[in-house]
Amino acid sequence: MANPAGVRSEEPTKATEATGASDPAARRPPASRVPEASALVRPAVIVALLAFVLLALPSLLSLYYVDALTQAAIYSIVALGLGLLVGRVGMVSLGQAAVLAMGAWVAARILFATGLPYPIVLLAAGLITMVLGTLVGLPALRLSGLYLALITLMLAGAITVVLASINFPNGGHGFTGYNASTVHIPPIRRPSIATTDPAYFRYVVIVAALMFLLVLAHVSLRPGRAWAAIRQSESAALAAGINTTLYKLWAFALASFVTGVAGGLLAGGSRYLYSIDFQTQDSITLLAVVLMGGIYSIWGAIVAGLLLELLPALLNSWGVSADWLTILFGVGVLQVLTTAPAGLVDQVPKDLARLGRLVLGLFRRTAPATGSSSK
Amino acid sequence: MPSWTDIQQFLVTGLSLGGVYALSGVGMVVLYRATGVLNLAFGAVGAMGALIAWQLINHSGLNDWLAFAVAVLFGGVVTLAYGMVFGRLLAGRDPLVKATATLGLTLILLGVMDLLWTTSGGASRSLVIPTDNNTFQIGQISVTYTNVIALALGLVITIVTGVFLRYTKLGTAMRAMANDREITATLGVPVQRVTAAAWFGCGLLSGIAGVLLADLVALDATTLTFLVISSLAAALIARLRSIAITFAAAIVIGVVDAELTPVQSVSNYRDMTPFVLAAIALLVLNRRRVITIGRQGM
Repeated sequence: MANPAGVRSEEPTKATEATGASDPAARRPPASRVPEASALVRPAVIVALLAFVLLALPSLLSLYYVDALTQAAIYSIVALGLGLLVGRVGMVSLGQAAVLAMGAWVAARILFATGLPYPIVLLAAGLITMVLGTLVGLPALRLSGLYLALITLMLAGAITVVLASINFPNGGHGFTGYNASTVHIPPIRRPSIATTDPAYFRYVVIVAALMFLLVLAHVSLRPGRAWAAIRQSESAALAAGINTTLYKLWAFALASFVTGVAGGLLAGGSRYLYSIDFQTQDSITLLAVVLMGGIYSIWGAIVAGLLLELLPALLNSWGVSADWLTILFGVGVLQVLTTAPAGLVDQVPKDLARLGRLVLGLFRRTAPATGSSSK
Repeated sequence: MPSWTDIQQFLVTGLSLGGVYALSGVGMVVLYRATGVLNLAFGAVGAMGALIAWQLINHSGLNDWLAFAVAVLFGGVVTLAYGMVFGRLLAGRDPLVKATATLGLTLILLGVMDLLWTTSGGASRSLVIPTDNNTFQIGQISVTYTNVIALALGLVITIVTGVFLRYTKLGTAMRAMANDREITATLGVPVQRVTAAAWFGCGLLSGIAGVLLADLVALDATTLTFLVISSLAAALIARLRSIAITFAAAIVIGVVDAELTPVQSVSNYRDMTPFVLAAIALLVLNRRRVITIGRQGM
């Protein structure tokens, strides 16, 4: 058995080197043997990065970018859930924006109605969304690939219509907590320890890190192995005695839970929620950035969040329309599906390496010949 | 309880919308059977065609019908171009991958449409087909010729497509390809040409649907793009197989959606109709043992 410290479970190669075989058009992520030394370097880098982001970043950036990065962190959690479904289990969901909306709605309702501490609210939002997501997932599990994606699209569409009708809570009474005649809508409260934007950013990053750890734990343990088996071949997994229905449900539940928590964070982050912020197009854009970021890697979720929220903020400050991004995402989807199924996270290092080799090759050729091998 | 007049008036709306959903649904079913691609960009292509027609009519003074012809042709050309490039590149992949790729096309078109015809600033556009102004009365309800055209086109296209698939060489080739692409190729059928015809035909239909829906509903990129879901629902109820059932389902969806408008208690939720019907169709009709032998997925 390989050295446990050397076998990084978040490394997707183990799970995907076998699964890539069935797809002739997909380029397989390389099976890299991670040597001992870098096994310690990696968590150190992550911790350092986290420390930098938490401690130094908010003071270096303007509030505009702190807000953008807060949104990016929130959406990276959503991307994490979707990436889990698509990359690990092979289930495409076109309705994650609706799940996010549900989480935000539940959190907002609880925040307005009670004075419960924030972690409890987030947990409640996550759990309720998880239950709803699982209920939805239950009948849909009989469906495969395309039909599963379509039914998630349908159900998301239905939820969007319902939301447009009942609206987000704005401090009113009754089940929906929506008062149509309210003139001054109160903002959704934030945790008492993190009321300012930079403080809330740190809060979000910590919660995001916890969500990532949660998913990572799942992936390293038995559920992760079951999902890898299901992704490769459901019939083989069944034959091996894996309860495929249970593990598929588990994936739905986990993805819904983290997305629900993200929704709760969104409620506190945006402070004012409107149904126009959660549209069908957003589910598609979400899938696009998750595909582009890379569905096989945890880092891909972070890239996806940055693509979705940081890039528009940058473009906005330069005066460029965000529509260019929509076009870019569309092109990205096509590119990823045709050539690079593992996404940017996999593709960029490879492209950089190839660029490096090209440059080195140029140097070798222009260097004075010293009995070189090239003719 | 809505009045009888109301019910009848909304029946007219429902039937015309249903007609458009039907011709869209037929286009999607035929394309899916011939190529394995569920064209989710159908609505976006039609929307862009409609906006181009609007641009030509209102800013270049082009004749209305010529502009509509351009819109329809645009739909055909764009869909054909996509099919020839990405349809070919993704030919061997899972239907899910092919459908997701069309979502990529949808995003590109949505971005382009919002860039060129931005909706911010409160600008609202409308596309008016000249036959809107010709109305006739049936009892107390007024019917425009556009309504008639929409329903008639839906019916005609369904019938013509059925006849085409059954009795023409090209149609038979398409049915053969839907059955088994490899064997069809070995029989000497020009597979690429048949595929191109399927893509082009679907594109033309999306152009037609785009212009009609822009007139009947609204000339708004997002609305038109996602109206494809109603046609999709009809196609799914038909299990992506029978165009007759697609027609029937589309009419039902259109009528139910419209008829719920005057019913106050559920009026806000009537847009859920295609979603709910499609979800039911997916769960009930497409239920099968989910066992995958090998996955050619993402």
